[in-house]
Amino acid sequence: MMSLQKFMPAWVKRVGLFTVVALFLAGVIFWGGFNWALEATNKEEFCISCHEMKDNVFKEYQNTIHYTNRTGVRATCPDCHVPKEWGPKMIRKIQASNEVWHKLLGSVDTPEKFNAKRHELAQHEWDRMKKNDSQECRNCHRYDYMDYTEQGNRAAKMHPKAFEEGKTCIDCHKGIAHQLPQIDQHIGKQNEGALEISHGDKTEAKVEEKK
Amino acid sequence: MRFIPALVLAGAALLSWAGVASAQEVVESLRGNNPITATSRTDNMFRPEKDQDLIPRNFQKQPPLIPHSIKGYNITQNFNKCMDCHSKERAEETGATKVAKSHYLDREDKKLTNISPRRYFCLQCHVPQFDAKPLVENTYKPAAKKGE
Amino acid sequence: MKLNRRDFIKANAAAAAMSVAGLPATSAVAAGKDDIRWDKAACRFCGTGCGVLVGTQDGRVVATQGDPDAPVNRGLNCIKGYFLSKIMYGADRVKTPMLRMKNGKYDKEGDFTPISWTQAFDIMEAQVRDALKKKGPAGIAMFGSGQWTIWEGYAAAKLMKAGFRSNNIDPNARHCMASAVAGFMRTFGIDEPAGCYDDIEHADAFVLWGSNMAEMHPILWTRITDRKLSSKHVKVAVLSTFEHRSYELADIPMIFTPQTDLAILNFICNYIIQKGKVNQEFVSKHVNFKKSATDIGYGLRPNNELEKKATSNGYPGDDGKPKGDPGKSEPITFDEFKQFVSEYTVEKVSKLSGVPTKDLIALAELYADPKIKVTSYWTMGFNQHTRGTWVNNMIYNVHLLVGKISEPGNSPFSLTGQPSACGTAREVGTFSHRLPADMVVTNPEHRKHTEELWGLPEGTIPEKPGLHAVAMARALKDGKVNFYWQQCNNNLQAGPNINQELYPGWRNPETFVVISDPYPTLSASYADLVLPTAMWVEKEGAYGNAERRTQFWRQQVKAPGESRSDMWQVMEFSKRFKVEEVWPAELLAKAPKLKGKTLYQVLYANGVADKYKVSEVAPGFDNDESKYFGFYVQKGLFEEYAQFGRGHGHDLAPFETYHKARGLRWPVVDGKETLWRFREGYDPYVKKGEGVAFYGHKDRKAVIFALPYQQPAEMPDKEFDMWLCTGRVLEHWHTGTMTRRVPELYKAFPDAVVFMHPDDAKARGLQRGMECKVTSRRGEVVLRVETRGRNKPPRGLVFIPFFDAGRLANKLTLDATCPISKETDYKKCAVKVTKV
Repeated sequence: MMSLQKFMPAWVKRVGLFTVVALFLAGVIFWGGFNWALEATNKEEFCISCHEMKDNVFKEYQNTIHYTNRTGVRATCPDCHVPKEWGPKMIRKIQASNEVWHKLLGSVDTPEKFNAKRHELAQHEWDRMKKNDSQECRNCHRYDYMDYTEQGNRAAKMHPKAFEEGKTCIDCHKGIAHQLPQIDQHIGKQNEGALEISHGDKTEAKVEEKK
Repeated sequence: MRFIPALVLAGAALLSWAGVASAQEVVESLRGNNPITATSRTDNMFRPEKDQDLIPRNFQKQPPLIPHSIKGYNITQNFNKCMDCHSKERAEETGATKVAKSHYLDREDKKLTNISPRRYFCLQCHVPQFDAKPLVENTYKPAAKKGE
Repeated sequence: MKLNRRDFIKANAAAAAMSVAGLPATSAVAAGKDDIRWDKAACRFCGTGCGVLVGTQDGRVVATQGDPDAPVNRGLNCIKGYFLSKIMYGADRVKTPMLRMKNGKYDKEGDFTPISWTQAFDIMEAQVRDALKKKGPAGIAMFGSGQWTIWEGYAAAKLMKAGFRSNNIDPNARHCMASAVAGFMRTFGIDEPAGCYDDIEHADAFVLWGSNMAEMHPILWTRITDRKLSSKHVKVAVLSTFEHRSYELADIPMIFTPQTDLAILNFICNYIIQKGKVNQEFVSKHVNFKKSATDIGYGLRPNNELEKKATSNGYPGDDGKPKGDPGKSEPITFDEFKQFVSEYTVEKVSKLSGVPTKDLIALAELYADPKIKVTSYWTMGFNQHTRGTWVNNMIYNVHLLVGKISEPGNSPFSLTGQPSACGTAREVGTFSHRLPADMVVTNPEHRKHTEELWGLPEGTIPEKPGLHAVAMARALKDGKVNFYWQQCNNNLQAGPNINQELYPGWRNPETFVVISDPYPTLSASYADLVLPTAMWVEKEGAYGNAERRTQFWRQQVKAPGESRSDMWQVMEFSKRFKVEEVWPAELLAKAPKLKGKTLYQVLYANGVADKYKVSEVAPGFDNDESKYFGFYVQKGLFEEYAQFGRGHGHDLAPFETYHKARGLRWPVVDGKETLWRFREGYDPYVKKGEGVAFYGHKDRKAVIFALPYQQPAEMPDKEFDMWLCTGRVLEHWHTGTMTRRVPELYKAFPDAVVFMHPDDAKARGLQRGMECKVTSRRGEVVLRVETRGRNKPPRGLVFIPFFDAGRLANKLTLDATCPISKETDYKKCAVKVTKV
C-alpha cells in the first residue's frame, strides 16, 4: 500500500483513492449515459416518434433511394441531418431544443402547418449543408472516389463539371429525400412569386438572398 | 373488302387441317401458354433501361420517350423535377433537351411567356422504358419519305 | 412527313374557324406534300373522347397526332393516344375464323383450326338453332361493349331484342357505367350529365370522388391542371381509398376507409343544412325528396347468406314471390331528410372514414359556400360499388341542396370509362333492360314505340329484362345459356371472379362461346370460335363521349386478312334465319308481309336503314360493309336510330354533319349543340320563364334521396386482412389487348405489380421487387411487390391493375354488385398477402 502511495499525485492523496475511483466511474457512467441519451435521440425511431416527422417527411423519405436501394445501405434521418463530428453535433443538438419547443407549441402539427413552414425548414437545411460543403452527403459520397464508368451518362457528365465549378452536393440535389416547398419555375401563375431554387450559381444565389 | 371465293378458302382450310403449318394454328393470348388455372410466371423482373441518347421517334408528333431513368423524380404542384433540367432556363447548363415550343401555347393557341400549365404533368405523354422484351412483334412502319 | 399543324390549319382554315364555334365545318381531309392523308377520328381508348388526326400512306396508318381543332383536347393526347398508330399492327392479329376442332368437326376440347366465314356461320347457326330449340330465346346471349361504334351496338341490339326476341344482350359498360345510369335515371329521369367539359374552365374548385383522373382521364386532367395552376384561388380536393397521381395536385388530399364515401356525402348534406346554406328557392321549386328501400342485398347468388337475410333484394322468397324491390322509393319531406342526415356528424363520420374533421369541413365548405363554383368528378370509385346507384344519387343530393348544377362551373359530372359507354351502350340501349333513347323493355309504351319505328308487329320485343353481365356469367356456368357471343371486349379477363364463375361457364360442355376480336385475347384463347374482327379506323365509326359529344370517323385502312367489322358479322349472320324460324306463329300472323323474309331483310334491309346509296360514301374512302351490303349501312342505321331521340331531348344532328364537325353535344336542336342541360338559355327543352327544369321526370323536378351508410359485402377480417382495390394504369387500356402490343407502352409498364405500403410489406417479410402471393376466398395471384410506385396505399389496402393476362387480378375479385344497377364492385374485397 505504501509503495503505491508513493506514485500517487498529491491531490489524490488529499481526496483519497476511493473517491478518485468513484469519481472516475461516475464520470464514465455519466459520459456513457450522456452519450447513450444522445445516441438515443440520434435514431430513426426517435425521430419518427413525433407524428410531425412520421406523417410528413418520413413518409416522403420512404419513397426514396435513401430508404430502400440496391445494396440495402441506408441513410437514416441523423445520417443527413446530424453532423458526425463532436462539436458540430453538440451545436446541432442544442439547436434541437428549439425544435422541442416548437413541438410543444404545435407549430407544425398538421400537414397544412408543416407545408406552410416547409420552405423555412428546407432553407435551414440547405443553408447548413451549403455552409459545411454538404458534409453529411460526403460522409458516404466522396467525390474523389467516384468511378464515372459506373455512373449514368447524365451523372458522369454533370459531376466533374459541377465539382470544377466548386459546387457542392446540395446545390443540385435538393428534394431528393423529401418533397420540395413551392418553387417558382415559371409555369402558370400558382407558384408565381414563390422561392426560386438555386443551383449554386453565383447570380442565382443573389436572387435567393434578395428574397 | 375483297372476298376470297369460299372455295379457295375452304381449300386452304382443308389443307391446314391436313397438317400444313399455319401461323394461325394457335390462339395464344398474352398469357402465353400458361393455362388460366395455373399460377403466374415469375420471370418478370424488369429494370429501367440504361441511360441513352435520344430514342428516335416513329412519327413527327410522337412525344419523345424518356431515354433515362426517372427514379426518385417527383412532380408535385410545388415543383416539377423534369423542368429542373429541361426548362428553357436550365437546358443549356444541364445539356437536356429543351422543352418544345409547343409547350408554351395555351388551349387557344396563344403564346405564353411561361410553360403552359396544361403540359405540367410530363408523364402523361412522356414515359420511360423498362428493359422488358416486347410480348408481340409490332409491324407498324413509319411513313416512307417521298419526294425528298 | 412535312405536314405540321400550321399547314394543316392553313389547309383547313374555314373548317378550323367554324368548328371552334361548334358549328359544322368542312371535312378534315388533307394531303400533305409527302402523300400522307390526314383525317380526323376519335381516340380508341377512354371516355374523354379526344380528337385525333390519322395519317395514312399506302393503305397503312403511319402516324397519329392530337387534333388541334378538337375542342376536347386541342392538340394534346395522352401517351396511349399518341401511340394509336401502332395499335392495329400487333403481329398476332387474328386473320381468319378459328374453330376448335377434332377430326374435322367442332369439338369443345379440340384445337383451334382456321375455317372460312361460311363454315363459321354454319356452326354458329347450328348452335343457335340448338339453343333456341332447347331453351328458347333465353338460351342465347350476347355480351357487347362500350367500345362498339354506335351502329355496331344498334345493329346488335336489334338482332337480339327484335330478331331473336331475347333481351339477353348486355355491354361491358355494365361493369363500368351502370351505376351512373341508374343514378341519373332515379335522380333526373334522364341519362347523362347536365354539364360538359367546359365546366373545367369555369370552376373554382374540383372534387374527385373515387377517380384518378391524372391517369384515367389524362387530357381532362391537363385541363384541370391548366385551370388550377393558371390561378391562385382554384382548389382541388381528392378523395380515394389510396393515394395516387391525382394527389399531386390536391389541396385537400383525403384517404377514406372503403365504402365510407356514403357517410361522407351524408355529412356534407348535414353540414349544408346545419349551416343554413340550403338554396331554399332552388330546392322548393325543383326538388322532391324520397327515401328508398335499404335492405337490398349485394347482388350475390341467392344461396349466399347475405342474400338469404336481405328483405328487399327482389330475389324469390320462400313463397316464390320476389322479396321487395331494391329500387323502390317513397316521398318524404325536407324535414324528414334533414332528420335522416342529422346523425352524420363530423365526429362520427371522421371516425368511420378516417378523414380528419378539418378536411371534412373544408370539403363540405366547397359545396356550402355559395361563392365557390364546384365541379365534382367521379368514375369507378363510385360506380363499381355495391351501393353504386345510391352513391351516384348522393352526390346529386349535395349539388341539388345548394343548387350548384346545370350552369358553367357548377357541375356534378359522371366521367365515363369507355369511348362510347354513353354513345353506344347507353344511348343506343344495348343494356338488357334498355331500348334506344333511355327507354326500357319493361314499359309497354316504350316497346310499342320501338316496334313502330322498327316496322315490327306489336309484341316483338319481350318485356322481361334479359341477363345482365354478372347474371350472364352465372347462367353460362349453370348451363342456362348455351350460345354466347362476345364482341369488342375481353370479359374472361375483365369480369369478376374468374375462377368460380367465368372460366367454369366458358368451358361448360353445354355452352358454345363465340369471340369477335382483332387479337387473341384471353377470352379468345378459351372460346370455341374466334372471329377475326376489324378495329378502330378499319371501319367507319362513331363514338359518344362523357359530355354527350357524338364523333364520327371514316374508314381509313382495310382490315387484315379475313377480318370483318362487328356490324358486318351481326348483319351477315342475320341472313341465316327466316323470321318464321325464330318468331312464334301468333306474332308473325300480325305482320304477314314479313313472312318468308330473313332477319336481315326484316331488321336491316327494311326500307329505312337501306335508304342511302353507297355512292354517298365520301370519295376516296373505303367503306367495306356498305360496298358489301349495297347500301350506306352506317348512315341508314344512324338515321333510323336518330328518330328515337329527335324531339325527345336526345336530338342528334343529320349524319353528314358529324363527318364535318369535331363532334357535337346532344341535344342538337336547330343545328345548335347543348352545353348545359336543364337550364333556360342553354337547353332548348327548358321553357321560357321556367329557369330550371329537370324534364326527365314528368313534374320536371329532380329527386334527393335519403340513403344510409352500409357496410360492403366483404371486409378484411383476421385471415383475409387487407382490402383489395383493382383498376387501370395510364399506359394500358383495360385488359391491354391493344396497348400491350405497342412496344413503347408495354415497356413503360410491363407487368402488373401489387402496390402496398412499405410497412405492410415489412410486416409480411416482403420487400420491393419480391414475389408475393395475393389470396382471396376465390383465388390467388403471384406477382411482385411495389412499395415505391405511383400508387401509395395506406396500411391495410393493396392495389392491383387488371391489364395483365399473366397476373389476373379478377381471380381475386368478388362478383358482388349494386343490387339496383347490377354493376360489380371491383374496388373492395378481402385478401391476404404472403411470401411465396
